[in-house]
Amino acid sequence: MKLIITDMKNFNIPVDGDYTIIRPQGNIHHCVGCFGCWVKTPGKCVIRDGYESTGNDMGKCTELIFISQCCYGSVSPFVKTVQDRAISYIHPDFVLRKGEMHHKRRYQNVITISAYFYGEDISEAEKTTARNIIAANADNYDGLVKNVCFYKTARELENMVL
Amino acid sequence: MKIALINGSPKVNNSASGILLADLKRNLAKAKSNHHSVKTQIKEISLHNPIVSQESFAALESAEAWVFACPLYVDGLPAHLLSCLIQLAETDWQDHQIQIYGIVNCGFYEGIQAEFALDILQNWCLKTGLLWSGGIGVGGGGALGQLPTLENGHGPKAPVEKALRTMAEKIIQCETQENNYVSIAFPRFLYKLAAQVGWRQLIRANGRKIRDLGNRPDPKLHK
Repeated sequence: MKLIITDMKNFNIPVDGDYTIIRPQGNIHHCVGCFGCWVKTPGKCVIRDGYESTGNDMGKCTELIFISQCCYGSVSPFVKTVQDRAISYIHPDFVLRKGEMHHKRRYQNVITISAYFYGEDISEAEKTTARNIIAANADNYDGLVKNVCFYKTARELENMVL
Repeated sequence: MKIALINGSPKVNNSASGILLADLKRNLAKAKSNHHSVKTQIKEISLHNPIVSQESFAALESAEAWVFACPLYVDGLPAHLLSCLIQLAETDWQDHQIQIYGIVNCGFYEGIQAEFALDILQNWCLKTGLLWSGGIGVGGGGALGQLPTLENGHGPKAPVEKALRTMAEKIIQCETQENNYVSIAFPRFLYKLAAQVGWRQLIRANGRKIRDLGNRPDPKLHK
């Protein structure tokens, strides 16, 4: 299953195969750093606004696809809010990977990450930061990077199949 | 000079960002005593939510240096702080000559893991006309609340304290610094172990069993 997290309210991009999409629908609350998703309701965010189960959705996916405006090399606030609220995908305990501290797995699936960034004037520095962050995400999810692409407008993405 | 200390943690109380800013404030007072001609005024600003209040904006507008302190969230800045940066970028800061410093703390042991979050702040500065002046990536942020600050460069917080002292000097002298990545002076394996003990205490305090730490809400996902 593909899990698509996007800030596009109107999503018109064809997708091949099964997928779940998380996009702006109603208000989303930002992560408050309570760690309730690890110690109160393990595996699920304690804020019940419709976006509490992303960690579980990530546990079911094989491919994680971000489609987001590029904001200074980061994904956009909406996509980042979903990501911040989904740390229950991983376990609170630490492990060492590639000589660095990361979190232990909660699930057994290996996620392959694709990121499609759009924005009128994405600088080279921002592209480098975005690539670095997606690679770091893959390390933290103990997954892999498939590709990181940049587009001037979200509309250009409609010509492709995810 | 007016210095804005910006707490970008979503946590209102007891955040590592708050501790680091309090330590920086103390170091700014010390640095000021070494440079008697510099008069400083510190404004403490909270960005715990995705909206920058009018009051915070006015305080920021009048400052000559801004210091952001925030936790590392999923290899970047917390989403709410990113929203605040986007709002602040609606103003053209080119003529304000404001210097921006960043302190990003992470729960991981290695401060270098905060590198890309500092890069986001730097990229934001380039887009908005603010002057990126360097940052600190702090590893072992989860322990900062439990560790004492000892004078004379001793104790497990000594490397963090040293980095904050250097940053305070740079701020007072309106200078830039290279990004500085530090970890607490505490063995990594003990930090890892202490974190594991901490999570077990917390889950039990919430009335759950230790094995629940590994729960998967969807039973089909249990092997």
